[in-house]
Amino acid sequence: MRIAALGALGAVGAALSYFAAGPARFWVNWIVWMLFLASVGLGALFLVGLEHLFIARWSVPLRRTAERVSGLVVPAGVAAVAALGSLRVLYPWTRPEAAAKAVLAAKSAWLNVPFFCARTLLCAGIWAFSYRFFLGGSLSQDASKDPAMNLRARRFAPVFMSLFAVTVTITAFDWISSLQPEWYSDIFGVYLFAGVFLSGLAGTAAAVLHLSGRGRLPGVRGDHLYNLGALIFAFTVFWSYIAFAQYMLIWYGNLPEEIVWYKSRVEGRWLPVILFLALLRFAVPFAALAARDAKKDGRRLLWVAWLVLFSHWLDLYWLVYPELGIGPRFSWPEFSFALMFVCAGLAWMRRQLTLGEDMPTGDPFLKEGLEFRL
Amino acid sequence: MAEALLPEGLREPALTDGAITLGELDDRVLSVPETRPPAKWFAAFALTSAISAVGLACIAYTLYTGIGAWGNNSPVFWAFDIINFVFWVGIGHAGTLISAILFLFRKRWRNSIARYAEAMTIFAVICAAIFPLIHVGRPWLAFWLFPYPNQRALWPNFRSPLLWDVFAVNTYFIVSLLFWFLGMVPDIASMRDRAKDPRLKFAYTALSVGWRGSAEHWQHYEKAYLLLAGLATGLVLSVHSVVSFDFAVSVVPGWHMTIFPPYFVTGAIFAGFAMVMMVLIVVRETMDLKHLITMYHLEVMNKVILGTSCLMGYAYMMEGFTAWYSQNQFIHHAFKQYLWGAYGWAGWTVLVCNVLIPQLFWSSRLRRSYPSMIFVAAAVTIGMWFERFVIIVMSLQQDYLPSSWRLYQPTLIDFGILLGSFGIFFSLVLLFARVLPVIATTEVKAILPGYQPAHGGDHDRA
Amino acid sequence: MTEPSAARAWAVIGLFERPEDLLRAAARLRGSPLGRVQAYTPYPVHHLDEALGLRRSPLGGMVFVMGVLGALTAFAFQYWMSAVDYPIVTGGKSPRSWQAFVPITFEVMVLFATLTAGLGMLFLLNRLPDIFHPMLASRAMEKITRDRFALALESSGGQGVDVDAAKKVILELGAQEVEVLPLPAPAPAAPLNFLLGLGGALVAACVLAGYSTYWVIKLYPELPPMSHMERQPRLNAQSPSGFFKDGRGMRPAPVGSVARGHRPYLIKTPEEAARLVNPLPRTTETMEKGRVLYAVYCRVCHGFLGDGRTTLTSAYGAKPADLRIKRLALAPDGTIYHAIMVGKNAMPSYAYELKEDERWAVIHYLRALQRAQDARESDIP
Repeated sequence: MRIAALGALGAVGAALSYFAAGPARFWVNWIVWMLFLASVGLGALFLVGLEHLFIARWSVPLRRTAERVSGLVVPAGVAAVAALGSLRVLYPWTRPEAAAKAVLAAKSAWLNVPFFCARTLLCAGIWAFSYRFFLGGSLSQDASKDPAMNLRARRFAPVFMSLFAVTVTITAFDWISSLQPEWYSDIFGVYLFAGVFLSGLAGTAAAVLHLSGRGRLPGVRGDHLYNLGALIFAFTVFWSYIAFAQYMLIWYGNLPEEIVWYKSRVEGRWLPVILFLALLRFAVPFAALAARDAKKDGRRLLWVAWLVLFSHWLDLYWLVYPELGIGPRFSWPEFSFALMFVCAGLAWMRRQLTLGEDMPTGDPFLKEGLEFRL
Repeated sequence: MAEALLPEGLREPALTDGAITLGELDDRVLSVPETRPPAKWFAAFALTSAISAVGLACIAYTLYTGIGAWGNNSPVFWAFDIINFVFWVGIGHAGTLISAILFLFRKRWRNSIARYAEAMTIFAVICAAIFPLIHVGRPWLAFWLFPYPNQRALWPNFRSPLLWDVFAVNTYFIVSLLFWFLGMVPDIASMRDRAKDPRLKFAYTALSVGWRGSAEHWQHYEKAYLLLAGLATGLVLSVHSVVSFDFAVSVVPGWHMTIFPPYFVTGAIFAGFAMVMMVLIVVRETMDLKHLITMYHLEVMNKVILGTSCLMGYAYMMEGFTAWYSQNQFIHHAFKQYLWGAYGWAGWTVLVCNVLIPQLFWSSRLRRSYPSMIFVAAAVTIGMWFERFVIIVMSLQQDYLPSSWRLYQPTLIDFGILLGSFGIFFSLVLLFARVLPVIATTEVKAILPGYQPAHGGDHDRA
Repeated sequence: MTEPSAARAWAVIGLFERPEDLLRAAARLRGSPLGRVQAYTPYPVHHLDEALGLRRSPLGGMVFVMGVLGALTAFAFQYWMSAVDYPIVTGGKSPRSWQAFVPITFEVMVLFATLTAGLGMLFLLNRLPDIFHPMLASRAMEKITRDRFALALESSGGQGVDVDAAKKVILELGAQEVEVLPLPAPAPAAPLNFLLGLGGALVAACVLAGYSTYWVIKLYPELPPMSHMERQPRLNAQSPSGFFKDGRGMRPAPVGSVARGHRPYLIKTPEEAARLVNPLPRTTETMEKGRVLYAVYCRVCHGFLGDGRTTLTSAYGAKPADLRIKRLALAPDGTIYHAIMVGKNAMPSYAYELKEDERWAVIHYLRALQRAQDARESDIP
């Protein structure tokens, strides 16, 4: 109830901001939060696909939680369709004067409104289908105990991986990169993927710790948490590697059409933001999870998970917000959006956490997963 | 649910064919260095040594006459020397992937092939190191690359990616050697205790630094192995990323790509797996190791090849898309050259060998047949070599100044050194196969069915 | 099995066939007052450290500290070398460009950390190399590295283990075999002759290598590789060369070529040349320039004063003209210019030595010389 009230408050504030702070600021916040929800859901979906691809058995007891978290792709998809309204406001290539710029005119085969909308719908459709496929199969297995579902999921997993790679790349290029349509960086899809998987892992870890704290995941022990923690640790390093490689190559090449993107993101008032991001997204999780025992420690993992989620939001904010050209701001419009989307996400998760059993009881590997030892 | 009730695709495969006891494992693997190699081995070694001799002769000729003996020209200043360097460093990465990354993922099938793959890493890095060394022209001055206090009061340029390479490759070699040696210490201890000749016994004792296999030894050893695996994983990512920086920090169209670091790492693992695959098939057939290196091992490796091939496809797709999306006329031109320029055939070879042919492995029947494995592995090796050719030669031959455009033609000396590097690599592989334990017996012992105390015992309360 | 006569031994070792048996026995023997409990296995057996109650390996902390130290060292050195000791801008990057120092910082961090992990484990924590450890002299070792699991009660502090009590305990725990390592602790045999031979060979090799290096350096003090770049065929100035048919190294200019700063001279006869007019104004600078050039090119034959008193000996053969004579004093500038251009009698052409304005400057100076030595009374002020 409190969540609904706070969410409603946030929604009112967000709606007000459309008129008081201008549509550009409204849509920028909307896109940041839409991408945030999509990231957590997609990351969890990727985790599920990964388990099926590698026939991983340790993660079976956690799979239902990941499947439930991946349900965030549904509200994210709705938010993405709504965000299509931002195209004329935020995206320079939709404006009539873009046709006069030779570079943008040449890109219009890709950057045009109908194709953009089609791509968005296609991506959202693929995610929703994959989510339904994995979750639906898993839920029906609760009753049927039929191992054939594992086989079907396993066959679908490589296809899902390919679709996932393409759709995440399209999302990165369309929703973030094309805010500055002259800019290009071919690693950008992988950059977003690193953040997506990291936030999905963090979302799953937070949900797992929430449930096991209430005794709903009996048998989930430090060994399972260790693996989750190790994945978060590994992908923290991976994200830092990709982020640094992209920055360093563009800094070194110093080409005008590339460096301009970083100029508006690492200089002036954005410098503290990026330093803060490096600290929160790399240094703190790295130091917190480096030791072996730290990864098994539920309390530590919980705050690291929330930190990772926060830093992913900060990352998206840092990617999208500078296009407004007003510097980093966090005032009442941003706060309202945070309230609205966090409450919506939590409310949705509350619903998700009632789906089926807490563990995939029909999965033939559940017992083996519960017995997993390092 | 019992394994037997599961559909076949979900069953956990056995890592060895049939039941093998600890002693049998030693008898099978450690007896190899104790026996005289067969005539076939000598014939093969003679062949590879002859090929190495050709390469060494070409290197000697290069050192005597200077690198004008190669086909390099202006503007193609980098050619076979750097192509071969990148190629061989990449081959090495598969070994580290198998020994370190799969160890971290607790993929137990790696245990029986890890030793071989690690050895191949070291040999590949040795082959790779030859090329930058002769590429500098006066290798006896190569020590200038290191920052040592000197009378000229000069320091190397730490902003140069080529210097990063020196540090990365040297570190990689040292770490790989250490990893390999540490893994071998308990095995050499086993060989020590099998040896009858007191001289041999003493030599093995010294080499195994007096390893006793006490519980404390193993405890520290396992911790060290885990830490080394973690560090080597970061290292393997960094090494080929640094190699890619050699290109990507420049502004040469076709080189300045932000996707280069992960793309190079993937390509390295891809090519390395293909090479490990080919060697493993030969080892498995000739050394009677079919029970330890099973068809399952080969199939999983083929899946890795398929997966990395798809990642390569993604990288090519992104490069192609960005070449168009950037609307940068120079990148545009470079990419048209890749497929429709003077060396367009090389570009198509890369696409066919690296992306199309490995797709055969979607079929489980082809994943399990020798001819298709060898076909794909050979195609990948060729494709990955040509990929470096495309990146290096084709990007250089048409630079920003059309008046300096020039085609590149390798000389016989270039081919001789390339051939010789294969000879050196396979000579070392053959030598290793007869001198040291080719399978990490202690690691395989630890995963043989029934040789780890079952869970849930009275000791397992923690 | 040989029974030692003493009741105390360095170690009593029991061999087990199955890892489970070892674990059970280790857990029971743990903390035994008889001696230090040690287990030996052919491969790492899970949970053995818990059964024996071993302390956790401190290696992780060591590696972390050394890794941080490696990173700091590498970064500090790079920064100091590139930005402090010899700051230099390369590639348009500031000497303090930290981004470029990251790759090497990472590599050195990994190097420090891995060397700590590997060598620290072997040498510091496991106290190896120890190739004369008593256990290596036991017969049990051969089975341990193969397929047996050993539990040993070892002497701590040198007073030895009570053999009978230890044997009893270990057999009760289910050991299939028991071996007793006597006191004083045995050491594995070293093949002395072999080692001496090896050392001798090493010394001989060093001596041989030293001598051969000495003689090679003495006989060939300089062995410059790729020296063909220095010794390639080339032309030296003022030297003959077999490369050209005429045997001359320096090449005459091709017919019809015009040198920089020169114009083609198309006049054939002194009469035609008489029409030329000196284009230079008669200024102090021109005179000074003419004086210097005259001194360089003309003086050696025509003398300081233009009087034909040559500094050449009579061996030269020709007699240079006295430039003061009336005919030359009255000759137009163009006639003298023509003589400089094409030569006269024994005098060669000076067309290549002097540029056009230099020739005219020399003529101005020559006029001054002529006039200076043909003074009249009216010249006296």
